[in-house]
Amino acid sequence: MTGGPMAIHAPSSVRTGWAHWLESYVMMTRWELGSLRLLLPLIVALQVIIGGGFALGIGLLFEDMPARNALYLSTGVTVVTLITVGLVLGPQLVGNRKIAGTYDFMWSLPVPRTTQAAAWTTVNSVIALPGMVAALLIADWRYDLPLHISLSIVPAVLLTIVTATMVGYAFAHAIPRPMITQLITQLLIFFILGFAPINIPPENLPAWLASLNDWLPFYHMAVVIRGGLTDGLITDVGSSYLVLTLYTAASVAVAAWVIGRRD
Amino acid sequence: MDDWTFRADRVTKSFGELRANDEITLQVRPGEVYGLLGPNGAGKTTLVKQIIGLLKPTSGALTLGPHDLVEDPDAARQLCSYLPQAQMPIDSFGAQQVMKLTGMIRGGDTITVQRRSDELIDALDIGEWRNTLGMKLSGGVKRLVGFAMVTVWPGRLVILDEPTNDVDPRRRRLLWEQIRRLGDAGASVLLVTHNVLEAEKSVDRLAIINDGRLIAEGTPSSLKAQDRGRMRLQLMMTPGHDTPEMPPFVHHHTRVGNNVMATVGESDSAQAIGWAQEMMGLGEAEEYALAATTLEDVYIRLTGHRSEEEPANIEAAM
Ligand SMILES: Nc1ncnc2c1ncn2[C@@H]1O[C@H](COP(=O)(O)OP(=O)(O)OP(=O)(O)O)[C@@H](O)[C@H]1O
Ligand SMILES: [Mg+2]
Repeated sequence: MTGGPMAIHAPSSVRTGWAHWLESYVMMTRWELGSLRLLLPLIVALQVIIGGGFALGIGLLFEDMPARNALYLSTGVTVVTLITVGLVLGPQLVGNRKIAGTYDFMWSLPVPRTTQAAAWTTVNSVIALPGMVAALLIADWRYDLPLHISLSIVPAVLLTIVTATMVGYAFAHAIPRPMITQLITQLLIFFILGFAPINIPPENLPAWLASLNDWLPFYHMAVVIRGGLTDGLITDVGSSYLVLTLYTAASVAVAAWVIGRRD
Repeated sequence: MDDWTFRADRVTKSFGELRANDEITLQVRPGEVYGLLGPNGAGKTTLVKQIIGLLKPTSGALTLGPHDLVEDPDAARQLCSYLPQAQMPIDSFGAQQVMKLTGMIRGGDTITVQRRSDELIDALDIGEWRNTLGMKLSGGVKRLVGFAMVTVWPGRLVILDEPTNDVDPRRRRLLWEQIRRLGDAGASVLLVTHNVLEAEKSVDRLAIINDGRLIAEGTPSSLKAQDRGRMRLQLMMTPGHDTPEMPPFVHHHTRVGNNVMATVGESDSAQAIGWAQEMMGLGEAEEYALAATTLEDVYIRLTGHRSEEEPANIEAAM
């Protein structure tokens, strides 16, 4: 038993500003990495296997794949591995926490809630990037790709990850029932693989679907990432950067609104 | 010196038609341990969730010292620490590790947080599980770890929603001691509990909430004042037997299951025992006991119904 006066350092003022935000972000990233600690190696390994396996799998589509197709499909695979983490895995993890009922505590922590969203994005990147790199390395080794990696891959990957993660984070939080969230992620993966011009050239899609995709982020994600990985495969990246940047800003705003809302 | 009194002023929270909180007004002063009691669904969790910013009041004000907690949820989260009734996310952390991590998120420094977590682990006697992963802890130890997490570096107002749930009787006593010490150290403690007898011994003041309304408030002894000079006669009815006609010296009575609790004057004790023995002789009752009234009698009288018009309600209240 402990005796004597207990030291309580009760806060007297409310911390605000960037220093507090950054400090909270670092703490919440530690928290998120810590709470996924046991699963993280498994998830990352799975992402690597999925990315690498997917890259090998496309080789089965052709008896002798033309170089341009190999480049197109391999870069498409990297995009898919990147965005499925934020849009599919992320929402499922959020859903699990909703089921466990641990958000009352998480939302009561004395940090700006946006730091929790930022920490979540960081953790999603930690999960997504190894899979993306693995897909690219294996595709390069297997198909001997004429890759031409430029610095623009950094903003391209950043915009793609942030948008995918924040869209997933927002709907996973906004939808009260994790069951519905699961269904939506199933639908999304179906759409991304089958009906979005990531691996399918837009001219192969029915006209209405192609123009629908002009307004969705997936095609633009594929364009900017291909722009950063190749030379000559993509011509017009400017408008895709514009659309994607707007999507990123909107997804961050919506996510911040969703998690800041009180019933 | 700033005044860090917590004030709820006519807080009302509606979920559609349901008024989960109906004009609740109460105050908790620094150093005070304030109990919030009431049956399931009374609206206790709803009230504390509004303080910490998980819910927004339909109307009314919540303030802590100079801070408006409804307007400024960031201030609410920094100035209050909160142990929810729901689960704590500690599965992948070691017990002490997660206490230290939350302490640091709350703004604590490494050294103090280390020292305070050591202190709490000793005080709650959970040293055995210091490095055990959260997912491997038993329910009660999880609860104690949760308590330590929110009090390693406590806020001005410490909100505890059923902290003693699942905890064994001996550690429950240790836990109450720590709650008391939080108050002694100057924090305001707002504590939700179903354990009326433990609360009676440990809280400074308490409120009883029923159907969203605050129906009684005061110190445990002021709440019992009405029962001063009275005793509780408890009759265990033979299953299947109706509640007998009460003799005139019974002030009021409640039935919960097969248990009939009647309040009688101290001077009527002998008569009460005689009547109870008569009931046993008739096979109506199986057992009886006469004891001093406790806060529980007040609680049952206030939250249950005085008569037997709606016995279902009384059973729901227990
Ligand atoms: N999010 C919600 N939406 C609709 N109704 C709700 C919601 N949360 C609580 N309620 C209702 O409000 C009432 C009060 O619930 P609350 O959880 O505050 O009770 P409580 O006093 O904490 O009960 P317990 O002792 O069982 O924890 C209940 O009738 C409950 O069904
Ligand atoms: Mg409750």
